Amino acid sequence: MSVLKRIDELSGNPKVRRSWFTLACAFFLIIIVIPSIFVVTKILTEWDLVNNILSDASTMDIIMGAVWNSFSIAFIVTVIDILVGLPMAWIMVRREFRGKNVLDTLMDLPLAFPTAVLGLSVVVFWAVPPEGITVPGLGLGITPYMLVVLLHIIFTYPYMVRSLSAILEQIEPNYETAAMTLGASRWTAVRTITLPLFRAGLATGFILCFARSLSETGGTNIALLLMGAITDDGGTFFTGPTFIAWMKTAFGGATSPEAMGAMILISVIMIVFALILLVVVRKVMMGFRIPIKKVWPDIGRKVSRGLLPKAKDVLAMAFLLFVVLIPSFYIFAFLTQPTGDIDFGGLLSATGTSFLVAGVAVAVDIVFGMPVAIYIARNKGNRLADVLDELVNVPLIIPTTALGFSLALFWGSFGFSDSVALMLVVLGHISFTYPLVVRNLVGAIEEVDPSYEEIAITLGAKPFQAFRKILFPIIKSSVLAGGILAFTRSLGETGATVAISDSVNTIPIYITNLVKAGMAGEYTMFAEAAMCSIVLIAICFVLMMVIRAMSQGGDRDA
Amino acid sequence: MGKIKLDRISMRFGDFYAVRDISLEINNGEYVTILGPSGCGKTTLIKVISGIWTPTEGKVYVDGVDVTDVPMEDRDVGYVFQNIALFPHLNLRDNVSYSPRVKDLGDQVMEERSTEYLELVNMLARAGMFPSELSGGEQQKVAIARALASGSKMLMLDEPLSALDARVRMELRYELRRIVKRLGITVLHVTHDQEEAMSVSDRIVLMRYGAIAETGSPLEIYRHPKSVFAANFIGETNLLECTVSDKSKMGKTKVRLRGGPEIRVSRTNFNIGDPVVISVRPEHVYPATDGLRAEVTDVVFMGTYWRVRTIAETRDHVEYNVSTSDEIPEVGDMVHLVFNKKATVVFARPEGGIEEEIRLE
Amino acid sequence: MPEIRLESICKDFDGHVAADDLSLTIGDGEYLCILGPTGAGKTTCMRMICGLTRPDSGRVYFDGEDVTDMDVDLRNSTMLSQSYSLFPHMSVYNNVIFAPRIKEWPEESAKQIVRSMLNMVHLEQKADWKPAQLSGGQQQRIALARALASGSKVLLLDEPLRALDARLRINLRKELRSLAKEMGLTCIHVTHDQDEALEMADRIAVIRRGRIIQVGEPRDVFENPATPFVANFVGRSNVVTGRLTASDGDHAEVTVPGGWVLRTRPTGIPVGTDVVVTVKVGSTKVSHATDEDIPNRMCTGTIERILYEGATITVDVSVDGMGTLSAKLPNRKYDDYKAGETVDIQWVPSKASVFTMPEQGLEEEMRLD
Repeated sequence: MSVLKRIDELSGNPKVRRSWFTLACAFFLIIIVIPSIFVVTKILTEWDLVNNILSDASTMDIIMGAVWNSFSIAFIVTVIDILVGLPMAWIMVRREFRGKNVLDTLMDLPLAFPTAVLGLSVVVFWAVPPEGITVPGLGLGITPYMLVVLLHIIFTYPYMVRSLSAILEQIEPNYETAAMTLGASRWTAVRTITLPLFRAGLATGFILCFARSLSETGGTNIALLLMGAITDDGGTFFTGPTFIAWMKTAFGGATSPEAMGAMILISVIMIVFALILLVVVRKVMMGFRIPIKKVWPDIGRKVSRGLLPKAKDVLAMAFLLFVVLIPSFYIFAFLTQPTGDIDFGGLLSATGTSFLVAGVAVAVDIVFGMPVAIYIARNKGNRLADVLDELVNVPLIIPTTALGFSLALFWGSFGFSDSVALMLVVLGHISFTYPLVVRNLVGAIEEVDPSYEEIAITLGAKPFQAFRKILFPIIKSSVLAGGILAFTRSLGETGATVAISDSVNTIPIYITNLVKAGMAGEYTMFAEAAMCSIVLIAICFVLMMVIRAMSQGGDRDA
Repeated sequence: MGKIKLDRISMRFGDFYAVRDISLEINNGEYVTILGPSGCGKTTLIKVISGIWTPTEGKVYVDGVDVTDVPMEDRDVGYVFQNIALFPHLNLRDNVSYSPRVKDLGDQVMEERSTEYLELVNMLARAGMFPSELSGGEQQKVAIARALASGSKMLMLDEPLSALDARVRMELRYELRRIVKRLGITVLHVTHDQEEAMSVSDRIVLMRYGAIAETGSPLEIYRHPKSVFAANFIGETNLLECTVSDKSKMGKTKVRLRGGPEIRVSRTNFNIGDPVVISVRPEHVYPATDGLRAEVTDVVFMGTYWRVRTIAETRDHVEYNVSTSDEIPEVGDMVHLVFNKKATVVFARPEGGIEEEIRLE
Repeated sequence: MPEIRLESICKDFDGHVAADDLSLTIGDGEYLCILGPTGAGKTTCMRMICGLTRPDSGRVYFDGEDVTDMDVDLRNSTMLSQSYSLFPHMSVYNNVIFAPRIKEWPEESAKQIVRSMLNMVHLEQKADWKPAQLSGGQQQRIALARALASGSKVLLLDEPLRALDARLRINLRKELRSLAKEMGLTCIHVTHDQDEALEMADRIAVIRRGRIIQVGEPRDVFENPATPFVANFVGRSNVVTGRLTASDGDHAEVTVPGGWVLRTRPTGIPVGTDVVVTVKVGSTKVSHATDEDIPNRMCTGTIERILYEGATITVDVSVDGMGTLSAKLPNRKYDDYKAGETVDIQWVPSKASVFTMPEQGLEEEMRLD
């Protein structure tokens, strides 16, 4: 109590407030942003290594192929997400129907699945699984490329629907109604009024999905392993992040000059392209105009009534069911199979590591992210706030494998290395979860009328009292929701962990290793991997339910 | 063109009736205000007429044709929103020509209509501007032009002035009436502001609890309200509880105020001994040498007159007006008040008490 | 206790001037209304008094003490906002007891104060409710109780009645003012509603574009406006332009389009100047046209329309050359006139003000928003 009071008093001093904010910004810059892009400087200091790779045509082919795969897959996935996400967002925001809550929960479920689990599940559902997996699937002879697309749609789709819904909710429904009372059919109203107002939402959704797809390592890796596209000795199909992960393991860490050069090069390419993309997409989306000069009332009318709108809704639902939900849940088919003994000791220790990493990362995010989030939310239009707002996105858009690799190099240059591997992994996880937490906080704080805190202060409260008695209780449920979201994201992350250290055994890595063992001929390991996955899903699912309960509780109070 | 008939309309949300069993006819070219406190169902009614909502029961007729199931884009009813809802990405001309555009009437019609209606609201000079560059009052004028440019003969106004500054509101309500009367269209105007309703409408429909409380021209409803609620809600009034003490064969009535004097009121059908409430507006209360004794508690400058607030010997609060050219009493003075007999309206005393009857929310 | 003084305050938000060399003194225990259109800088002015906004230059004094750099929470000035800002996660009771607890008053006396405040606003039985369960008027009262319970001596009211229904607003005017007076608070009440300001204020400060253009008692502002804008903003006025053609100690004469000669109160403006005449619609009278000599007849016109507005009627009269003039008359005159009838328009010359033509043009001067 007395500590709180001390902070209350201190918070009355503007110098203290400024110092605390400066500290939070410094933390953000020095611990998160700079290490994330540190690798870019290596292109200068280690130019010889990079140059060697540049002149090595066969390695260059693999690298450029991997980069092309990553970006083209991310693009295709995002476009599909937009097309099927739009009608879904409309259903979620503008319709009231029974079971909407259930649908809402279902939509978020893929977020609770660690991607490594999804990788396993998707291969078994769609493709021809390798020898040793006895669960029957569709057994389609699809290419690794198509499979990766199908996999990435699953975990990017919820992000797209969420960000489109968020923007749609902000667009005044009266615009559409006004257009319709003026004689526009619904289709025309949406096309000429709502969609043009939608650009910001499309840009955010695009960037989120694209970045997520670009980043993803664990699930893609498992899928490609199972497809036989990647083996310990080489591979026929890589994405950027899986290539980095493969280099890291295949060459026994980044010590060999060859691996070093290649990893630097591909990381820098991925980072630079991703950052360019962040800027370009924003610009293109904002400048993009939907032509509204011409209308076709009859067509509009036909499209707006009768079967067509219903067909559109049915298709959107069918997509959710058959492309997103069923392939994700297919892992449960393993429950029908007899299993051998599960190594609970190994599972438990990996789970413990994962929880430790995720827990510490999220806690640090919230503490150091709060001042930055408050500043961004409360100073819209201010130069510094806008810069911070953009910077927060940086770790989000950088592929986590490149980020992890960069981070390892950065701290390595200070002499930190495997001896403190766990700490470095935590730092890595802080980096890519920080944007998730801060974004969420900014969103929550923006919703709260600043006059609550102002009134509290005029009633005699110190700034920190106003924060802990007014603002924090109001946004508490959102803070928790954002925290748990970041927690599950950290739990499922493979790429960053692998790129930083191969000695830290988190749960997705544990599962990946089981799958690798399976591929090596220990067939019972497949079933064990599946069982571990199911346990993990159960844990994540419980966490998700907690979020929902919390956030709905919050709604009731508000 | 533009004759509207509502036949036993009900609108239910879950178990809650927003409006219940409403029948109403509106004539071609009539300006009708739907007036009532927040939550009385007034907006629901015009949303049903314009097709934004389909009523759970009842029928809507326009010029004798049942339009209940016609979708809103084919209703041809202009609608103006409280929050204005001009399309933010379109300039004023494109906003106003939106309706001709979506009906594909051709460039020439779009040009002509937008010019005509922007001119009508005096905004033509700024046709190239975007809504965010205008003040609230100007935006609302453009929103009205946009609704009119659909060529509709019916205009629904959903609290069109309540988001604006008080002074702008006053100016715009005179302009609003001028514009629509020139065009001869049928208007339904929803508002909670009784002053606004009084100055714009041909007829006021007073609503409460999802039902019509009473209807009448501003004059009828102000002079001869049919309920205590209407008397208090529309214009200010003094309400005094009393009992009928005398009545002649011709209907000439006297009432006795609480614990006090007897006064003459207008003719009524009440019987001696009936508990009643009399309503007398402040402009019909005069200071005199004899009459109800009252102590002045407050004197407030209201612009063109002074409002004197008193507490009478009957413990009733009585207010009256004094012209700015006349002498005003001071707080604490004792005055004698008389009422204009003809302007006194007598009601049966409400069972739940006056307070409950005149509750605003 | 406190007298508040603002001295040469300037504040600029990215090019939008919210305060332009603004000076104002509010007396101890006074109820002052800051009246002006949206965007005039009313709210900024108030926020600078309680310290939520810092002025770019200029000083704020409470009882002669410079508080410009004092922290908000130490100023003892409390705000009541138009959205009430009741803390949504707390019960009514906890909202009201917020300030006593923050200030660590003895729990017993805090409870005592909260009870008496809730009692004062007649909502003691709603103590355990959440703000969202209350109606608009009740929320407004709780926000007031919370502000009063803080023991602040300065109460800042930011359009406190704006969000309420019109009829309720009128009822609450009396209540709000008498509570504030009872507690002996210095009140600054920001509003765009001139009726509200007239009825509630001890003094009115009319603000426009960051500048105070007139301060005075309601009657003074209403009857002796400082500019044509004030004349039309505080009570609707007929506004006519013309040229000053005669002026003496009794009255001035202004010749207007259509050849009419309007008489106004005396003025120091030199003869021959282009001027604006304003006269309140409530001071404008009409009578049936006659050939007799009527002392205060100014012009003659045709009735365009008559609106019955309750206690009053508004008669619009079209006058050759001048356009439409309006007259607000008692409702008992409603049956006396008909549209199309020719009437004389008259006013007492001392009720008409005359101003030199504003430099930026009349239309810009008269803009209401």
